[in-house]
Amino acid sequence: MKSNPKLDAMLSDREIIVCVGCGGAGKTTVAAALALEAARRGKKALVLTIDPARRLADALGVESLGNQPEAISRDILDTLDVPQQGNLSAVMLDTKRTFDDLVERLAENEEARDRIFANSIYQQISNALAGSVEYSAMEKVFELHESGAFDLVVVDTPPAQHALDFLEAPQRLLDFLDSRLVKMLIHPAFAASRFGFRLFHRGTQRVLQVLERLTGIGFLEDLSEFLIAFDAMASGYRGRAHSVQDLLLGPKSTFVLVAGPGMESTRHATDFLDRLEGYGISLAGVLVNRIRLWPSRSAPPEAATRESADVEVLRDAFRASEGAEYPAQLAAEAAERVATRYAEWVRADAGFAQPLRERIEAQGCFWGCIPEFEKDVHDLSGLARVADWIAGKDEEP
Amino acid sequence: MAASAQRSLLGNRLVIVTGKGGTGKTTVSATLALAAARAGLRVLVIEMGHGEQIPRLLDPQAPVAGYAGCEILPGLRAMRIDPFEALAEYLGLQFGVRAIVDAVVRNKAFRQLMTASPGWRELITLGKIWHLAQLDAKDASGPRFDLIIVDAPATGHGVAFLDVPRVVISAVRAGPLRKNAQRVERLLEDPDQTLVLPVALAEELPAREIAELTDRVRNEMNISIDRVIVNAVVGPPFPDALPDLDEALARLDGDLELGALPPPRVLARCAHYLRSRHELNRRFTAEIQETTGLPTVELPRLPEGIQGPDQISSLMSALLADPVFLA
Repeated sequence: MKSNPKLDAMLSDREIIVCVGCGGAGKTTVAAALALEAARRGKKALVLTIDPARRLADALGVESLGNQPEAISRDILDTLDVPQQGNLSAVMLDTKRTFDDLVERLAENEEARDRIFANSIYQQISNALAGSVEYSAMEKVFELHESGAFDLVVVDTPPAQHALDFLEAPQRLLDFLDSRLVKMLIHPAFAASRFGFRLFHRGTQRVLQVLERLTGIGFLEDLSEFLIAFDAMASGYRGRAHSVQDLLLGPKSTFVLVAGPGMESTRHATDFLDRLEGYGISLAGVLVNRIRLWPSRSAPPEAATRESADVEVLRDAFRASEGAEYPAQLAAEAAERVATRYAEWVRADAGFAQPLRERIEAQGCFWGCIPEFEKDVHDLSGLARVADWIAGKDEEP
Repeated sequence: MAASAQRSLLGNRLVIVTGKGGTGKTTVSATLALAAARAGLRVLVIEMGHGEQIPRLLDPQAPVAGYAGCEILPGLRAMRIDPFEALAEYLGLQFGVRAIVDAVVRNKAFRQLMTASPGWRELITLGKIWHLAQLDAKDASGPRFDLIIVDAPATGHGVAFLDVPRVVISAVRAGPLRKNAQRVERLLEDPDQTLVLPVALAEELPAREIAELTDRVRNEMNISIDRVIVNAVVGPPFPDALPDLDEALARLDGDLELGALPPPRVLARCAHYLRSRHELNRRFTAEIQETTGLPTVELPRLPEGIQGPDQISSLMSALLADPVFLA
């Protein structure tokens, strides 16, 4: 693989790179490797993982990642060829802490803050419920970018089904805060009494009645209380949410699609591309992770063209090398089966990836492959190897 | 160690297939559904989220199943639960008057509220699954479905998904929402009916994650779990008599001309790769057994990947095999 000018431009010009893709494709690894490569090019780089599974700390060899960026030590950076002006940090999203920090920042006073912290709806949203991670992730990306401490923030995202939730999160929360229903729920009369229903016109009454039947009285009261408390900071939040959206969809940001090998993965990646295009999102390129490549860079040879004479040459070579006792015929046949089996994998991977590759290259985006290594990437030297491949400084596969 | 006390996978009412993204949950769900249907069970397989894959895996010509569902093979139905459709159906059952329900579900403010609210999608989906598990066959000869298989979302979210009833019960003081959550929780926690079937890869990080997952499912959620499916296992690459074939290949003249065969240098690399992946899979299968305390069932890695019914049926017997501990 030669160096890739489009990838070089991305690493030098963008401030936010969002890695999207299906679960299991290796987004976390690729995001960390991209940040490492940027650091090697002298950038102050940060990788943020919002995946609830705690993978990044393992890959970065950092014992525990908190909600604040943790710098990889200079000693380690030296071993990874990161120049003096470059550095690498990592941060793991803590959903509850991020929510709490946001409330701290936006609440008018301590009393307002404590009222929100004590509300049972807030506790559930910030703690436990699926989906809340996306709200806090976008907040965190914005906060880290605004801090000005980093030239580049590389963002890892949750699996495909949720990755676009992440993009939609700012607008969704804004729509919600601006909705008539929320306005109703934070109406003082409603908070005072559920008979406040009567104050609203019939359509809204009906919605509230349905909600109440569905959820029980207590829930709506809690929700109303939460929204009243939250409303006090809503204007501050509204401004932030717009800024987050502008940042993610603007020229400072770009997206990299991480795909896995195989038919299912490439089909998922294709679906994903369709959805990104529907959003008008600028994709920088696609990295296919853990694809199997043929060792000599040429295409794998066809098994059909082989002759038994070829296997006999190999058998004789084994005999000469390993001695007369060695089961040379068995070994030569087994070696032939190994080549056939591996070639089958390589051809299958390449075949499934081909339509995606043609589409990506036709769009002028970069296309990169990272092979499956004989052991898995779970430490910094493994990440460095992935970064080498991304940058085109690779060894032979 | 002998694996005792496991009943067959086909002996459950509800099997929730879960695991990290990319481990092959959908493959396992489709394979189990096919095996159950072949065994004469009435089986329903459920997908969640945006895409629908299982019908195509079982029959390339299968139509889109959607929320209404579709019979893919005799005795085998597939469906995809869309939370808004499930909500409309639920409200219809609650209020009877469809016109009111439609007006509410179409109401913009209501949709905004629901789109922004976390958690309800999971709860309504689980509620629909609960409802499906209660249905009787048309001739009242037993349950409508002997086995319901759920292809759950990826681990991080997959566990949150199963946790939602508990969260709702602790957040909501009274009312139908709480009651529904309790019913769902009772079904999930009933060891005679429900099994969580985790799917893992025998690799370092997935092995660690599956240990966290099984721990949470067993201890925090109290849902039955009795084995781990280890998917995409690379089998022994060389004959038993030649455990070091890759090393022997590396000792040959690397550029020896072998006609249409690749030279020994390339053969050695292919052999080394297969051996490394095989040994890595062995090592982490053992680790999964040790950290989870559960026996495993191994599914082979198919070179051509999972493309359709041929691959799915080839995995059936391996999936139904008794779970074992490595010697």
